Amino acid sequence: MKKYFKIWWMMSRNSFSMVLTQKFTLSIFLVGKILRFLFFFGFLYFLLLGTKNLAGYNSTQAIFFFLTFNVVDVISQFLFREVYRFRPMIVNGDFDFVLVKPMSALFRVLMGGADVIDFLTIPPLVIVTIYISTLMNPTFQNTIYYILLILNGLIIATAFHIIILSFAIITTEIDHSVMIYRDLTSLGRLPVDIYKQPLQGFLTYFIPVGIMMTLPVRAIIGLATPSGIFLAFVVGAVAIFISLRFWKFALRKYSSASS
Amino acid sequence: MRKYWQIFKISFQEEFAYRLNFILWRVRNVFQILLTFFLWSTVFVNPNTVIFGYDRAKILSYVFGVMIVRALVFSSRAVDVSTDIAQGDLSNYLLKPVSYFKYWWTRDVSSKALNLVFAAVEFMVLYFILKPPFFFQKDIYMLITFLLSVIIAMFLYFFILFVVSAVPFWAPELGWGSQFLMLIVVVEGLSGSLFPTNVLPTNLQSLVLATPFPYLVYFPVQVYLGNVTGLDLVKGIFIGIFWTFALMFFMNWIWQKGLKVYESIGR
Repeated sequence: MKKYFKIWWMMSRNSFSMVLTQKFTLSIFLVGKILRFLFFFGFLYFLLLGTKNLAGYNSTQAIFFFLTFNVVDVISQFLFREVYRFRPMIVNGDFDFVLVKPMSALFRVLMGGADVIDFLTIPPLVIVTIYISTLMNPTFQNTIYYILLILNGLIIATAFHIIILSFAIITTEIDHSVMIYRDLTSLGRLPVDIYKQPLQGFLTYFIPVGIMMTLPVRAIIGLATPSGIFLAFVVGAVAIFISLRFWKFALRKYSSASS
Repeated sequence: MRKYWQIFKISFQEEFAYRLNFILWRVRNVFQILLTFFLWSTVFVNPNTVIFGYDRAKILSYVFGVMIVRALVFSSRAVDVSTDIAQGDLSNYLLKPVSYFKYWWTRDVSSKALNLVFAAVEFMVLYFILKPPFFFQKDIYMLITFLLSVIIAMFLYFFILFVVSAVPFWAPELGWGSQFLMLIVVVEGLSGSLFPTNVLPTNLQSLVLATPFPYLVYFPVQVYLGNVTGLDLVKGIFIGIFWTFALMFFMNWIWQKGLKVYESIGR
């Protein structure tokens, strides 16, 4: 564990150094990400000024759903940015060089390039999220549930990124699968309660956006049941188990083409 | 004219060469529509609700209208122009007896034609699944004005795209960054794709309406819905035309400057 943290620290430092050499590019992407957040936040704010509530949730709660989505989304992008760069490795056969190294190949391609831009946005985002959460006066127990369910959401996000990597080995396609994953999870910017069946069921059980992003907020509000919370952790464990099995299966299909 | 017709046909066929890419791009568009559709559907769950001047039928028609207008305005092959400049591939086109702008405009029109067909199919499928109370515009005058505003929007987007794509003349590494900031963030955020501009407070609305972005999606859809009439309609059309010409002149100016510093790096 200590060894892997050291490796992650080293790889992240290298990744940060690379991005920091192009400060202007970094600032453009940073401004873009902040603006994108502000556009949707502004829209939601003005919408709620007019409607006062959304699907039975008051304005503060609806905004908190959006912030929680961002927390899970930005942290997973910060950690798993390397996934977006995996395709050339497979197409060129450079993945061979990863496989021969005395470390987990999955760890390298999953977490080998932390994103400095997302890293810079995490602290202000977390501070705003904490501030908005205090406006809802959550109990200590519900706050603990919220934190645990956010961690569970990140575990599910990890599982999906592993599945995307595995698909990349089998199909050499990654760009669209990762973007479709992101489009689907972006449906979690708002509580999944707004969607009708069967889409709501799909977003709760198949691509469990509801468990990743909606359930933590329901827990902090005090609307989640103990059985629902338990089920969420079971889904998290099953998702990571299936993704690891799929990764092993995909590795056996790797043809080392072009190497 | 014949050579551009050939470019149109080749470009159209090329889209079919990467079928999976194209289909997945359309799937992504549907997801974006679903978010806005269900959001507004929830807000207007009571059929008698009227907010920001919209009732349930008009706001859901807005969402479906956005789907068609987006397909016509935002479908573009010219997003590859910045890569041409950054990698020096622009030189290949400069040597050929074709106008570079007309070449990409032809390719854009071909892409728009194909995307329109798919958007129409998605429209019908989603219409039958979601059964929204859709507002069908019957006034022929409004439909012609809607068509005019869409044509203005297509030119407007083309010129914005070419202005943004000129950045790599001076900074080749900023090709994707400038497109991300302008096309994915600013254009998406202010064009009315995400939300109708009149959700914003009046002063912010006036500010946004003075920029070219709402004339890409928001204004054409408002024209279709019959929400803009009389003097406001004429004013909107003129602002759209003004921005189209202003951006066309700016594009020509910036490209002339850019071609002077172009070094064909990578060739």
